[in-house]
Amino acid sequence: MKKIQSRFGEIEYDPANTLLFPAGLVGFERLRHFVVMPNEKEGPLFWIQSVEDPMVAFVLTDPTDFFLDYAATPGPRERDKLKIDAADPCLVVSVVTVPADRNITLNLAAPIFFAPTTNRAIQVILEGTEYSPRTPLPEVEPAKG
Amino acid sequence: MLVLTRKAEEGIIIDDDVKITIIEIKGGSIRIGIDAPRHMKVHRQEVYDKIKEENQEATQWDIADLSALSSMMSTGRKKS
Repeated sequence: MKKIQSRFGEIEYDPANTLLFPAGLVGFERLRHFVVMPNEKEGPLFWIQSVEDPMVAFVLTDPTDFFLDYAATPGPRERDKLKIDAADPCLVVSVVTVPADRNITLNLAAPIFFAPTTNRAIQVILEGTEYSPRTPLPEVEPAKG
Repeated sequence: MLVLTRKAEEGIIIDDDVKITIIEIKGGSIRIGIDAPRHMKVHRQEVYDKIKEENQEATQWDIADLSALSSMMSTGRKKS
């Protein structure tokens, strides 16, 4: 086990279990290794902490929990970077922005592909997309009795 | 940075497989044609910058907010 200092205190992690972004995230190209932090509370949000930079952590979520028809699939080049075949599982995850007013937004324009079999992930900027990098959550309909 | 002067309909070849052509110069705008292999991502600079900015923004969060949001969202979440 190794330890890193983060904005949120000391984090202990297993270097063999870190998530690898071979190309980093957009604007954070040099940060390759992240620790996936377990949920303290149940809910759709989780976060990843950079091993290389204690100040950098991202909140992530599964966008299809909120946008049922949202879909993005990795092409051959992306699968190469993830070191997977077309048959391997690949999950789509969105970066979440959490402003002080807690009105969170999802970056649907640049999803992260995550390959659980190789523990690799890449962020891709979708081409010619209508999706916004700052998409608010859909209005929650009041529960019907 | 390499700086080249091109006229309309002239082009640039990069590394054998990327071809950039100046299609038209009109009213302060330049139309550019890009022929590149499918796997090469081509983005307008501002699209890339916006994602970079949003990622930057996304690192500025507070753990107390995450905790509060998780509680709120786990109750409001759709059941699959």
